[in-house]
Amino acid sequence: MNATLQQLIADAERRWDDRRHDGKVHVTVVMDTSSIARGARETLEAFQRAAEVAPDNLAVHITGSWGFCWLEPCVLVRSAAGTRTVMYHDITEDRVADLLTRVLQNRDWPEMALGVVEGNATEEIPLLEDLPFMQGQVRRLMARTGIIDPENIDDYLALGGYQGLARALEMPDEAIIKEMLDSGVGGRGGANFPVGRKWDFLRTATAEPKYLVCNADEGDPGAWVNRTLLEGDPHLIIEGLLIAARATGAREAYVYIRYEYPLAIARMEKAVEQAKERGLLGENILGMGWDFDVIVFKGAGSYVCGDETGLINSIDGYRGMPRIKPPFPAQAGLWNKPTNVNNVESYANAPLILREGAAWWCNVNPGDQPEKGTKMFCLSGQIKNAGIVFEIPFGSGTMRSVLERYGGGMLPGCEVKGFQPGGPLSGVLPASDLDLPLQLAPYRERGMFLGGGGIVYFDTRTSIVDLVLWMTGFCEDESCGRCTTCHGGTQRGVETLPRIALGGGRESDIEKLEDLVKTLVWSNCQHGQLSPTAIKLMLRGFRDEIDSLIRDKVDPTRSLPGFIAYRVRSQSDPALPEAVEICPTHAIVMDGHDQWMVDDRLCILCGACKEVAPGAIAVVDRFQPATIPTAAAAAGGGA
Amino acid sequence: MRRLAAQHLQPEAPILVRDFTIRGQPMHREPTTQELRELVADFRPGRGHVLPALHRVQEAFGYVSPRAMEVIARQLNTTAALIYGAASFYTDIRTAPPPETEISWCSGPTCRLRGGDRIREAMQQVLELPLGGHSPDHRYGLHVGQCNGTCHEAPIVWVNGVVTGPLTVADAIRLAREVKGE
Repeated sequence: MNATLQQLIADAERRWDDRRHDGKVHVTVVMDTSSIARGARETLEAFQRAAEVAPDNLAVHITGSWGFCWLEPCVLVRSAAGTRTVMYHDITEDRVADLLTRVLQNRDWPEMALGVVEGNATEEIPLLEDLPFMQGQVRRLMARTGIIDPENIDDYLALGGYQGLARALEMPDEAIIKEMLDSGVGGRGGANFPVGRKWDFLRTATAEPKYLVCNADEGDPGAWVNRTLLEGDPHLIIEGLLIAARATGAREAYVYIRYEYPLAIARMEKAVEQAKERGLLGENILGMGWDFDVIVFKGAGSYVCGDETGLINSIDGYRGMPRIKPPFPAQAGLWNKPTNVNNVESYANAPLILREGAAWWCNVNPGDQPEKGTKMFCLSGQIKNAGIVFEIPFGSGTMRSVLERYGGGMLPGCEVKGFQPGGPLSGVLPASDLDLPLQLAPYRERGMFLGGGGIVYFDTRTSIVDLVLWMTGFCEDESCGRCTTCHGGTQRGVETLPRIALGGGRESDIEKLEDLVKTLVWSNCQHGQLSPTAIKLMLRGFRDEIDSLIRDKVDPTRSLPGFIAYRVRSQSDPALPEAVEICPTHAIVMDGHDQWMVDDRLCILCGACKEVAPGAIAVVDRFQPATIPTAAAAAGGGA
Repeated sequence: MRRLAAQHLQPEAPILVRDFTIRGQPMHREPTTQELRELVADFRPGRGHVLPALHRVQEAFGYVSPRAMEVIARQLNTTAALIYGAASFYTDIRTAPPPETEISWCSGPTCRLRGGDRIREAMQQVLELPLGGHSPDHRYGLHVGQCNGTCHEAPIVWVNGVVTGPLTVADAIRLAREVKGE
């Protein structure tokens, strides 16, 4: 191993070990975007104040997310002896003092404990790995997130960091690419194109200089697996880029992070700075006379910049409009020089493959399966554990099993109606397809794709038209405007779908939507080509509901704006004045007989009145006048 | 609702994310050409410096004025049209001063499933603003936010960058009224 790197690793390991035996209680607060939203910053500050008072007994650190977003703020506490670590959940600021009193006396707090991370389980606290949502997980990419301080390079070095690079430094470029090819790692953005081949394109390109781009513009609403890595283990990505640079001869790398991830940007910038200080980036890396630089590039809020050529244009300083291919980025990318664009997870896998070898890396998958290694997913929607991030062998599990095991099932009172496998471009499937595995082929067969890892489950109270309108609206909003098929086509989508939602759907609308599906695929980039996927899948999987809306004017979900109306049910309900007051359009008015009524001309169907006065307000079916209570009947009162 | 938005609306509370303005201070003045030139002096043509320059101006002055675009264009040896083209492409680059209190409405799927669209509708009615609009006096504005994975709090809005949720529609109406000063 390179002597300089060996020294760095040895120093870091020593420091990590010293910390374990310093006789202090170590408190580690999970600090990521999700936990900060639930008050982790205040929790951290409370612990830090306590540590100032008792610096000999208490040390406070931060770490990245374990993926338990609905349980944040999570806190790990290691005993003074350094042998036992327990994870606590929901430690808001007001619980800090209680927790500290206990842990400083070497006691657990079983009511708030989630699991034992290190040491033995007790009767009251199980091992963390025995929790239902930890079972079946193989945490390799996430091995360090939630343990190390992402703002401290030493923590990364102490736990196996930069050892993949160490091995790559001793290999010729072709051997690195062969290792990547042997592993079978595919692009994690959704396409699963072999990363090794992509790297080889860049290696064999003749023009100089060559560039690497890490696509961290994770724009899919409902996906934050890349954010978890960027915020939890930024050096893993830097190491991946260094290995890619060794293999391809690239001189510079851009990490393009979306503007919505300010914490990820800050941590990545800090990681780059620290790597430069240690001589792992910049000029003359590790004294080997090798120059390579990583530049953290901030996006500015554009979904199509997640397309590789859109991203390249964005860095180049143009509008982030996808280019027409060919030429492919490997021939003409950034500044028309050879460029390789990969997803965050794709680069993050390289250190694992190089450190442990290709055979180890894919030992979690059946040999004949095209999906290799592990893959991170996150779940959201109407589920109990909304926000969970987990890592499983790629290709294992079904949509139903991950919902039950990791998502904790649907929210109480919700029944699953369908799911979106990965982003608004990936389409929607009904609940009857819940047994599909998390593999690529079943979705390809259905004319859709698995996507980047953000799965959204929706329930039977959700109107499919509303959901697909949201997806199509998103696609329209984010269309770059180059192709008429895309910017005009998605506009037709957001005209036709609201018509159905407003109760004016026509039989011909289905044909119009089908035409749209056929037309949009002729767009230049993936954004345009895939934007009608949701409409296509809706017409296939949810046809009954569409027919019912158009033909029978019945909305089974009782939620679409054209199908419902709000009515005053009880004039005497004590909460009625509150409903009158909360209405944003003052639509609850007195009629000529001193009776309150909802004026449909003003009502925007926001439902606030029903929230504050459920007894006074009723939702009725606009197409079934018989269900609308008359003023006289309503005056009778009661629920 | 885990966090009361009100605590972030009090005059003494500093704005947490956008630290370029302090409440109560005069509104954004337009930066002078000289200030702008100094600010972007280290950017060079042909190095991918357009977005970084736009970000830096926005972080310093809250928005990118037409004059700033001209200065950036000159520094990067290109035309103001190209800079404007890039600036106007991105939702997060402002070409007008930001409002004092900004509500960003999350447009993500989980928020939508949990009533986010009705929240938008109601807040727009109270604030009398379209999405992306701000009040004539720049006191408050409504912006489209993109999902960044705080879905366990859904449906949410960000008030000056701080996650506020889960909101009922009634909560959102009260919040909007408070921001508006009703």
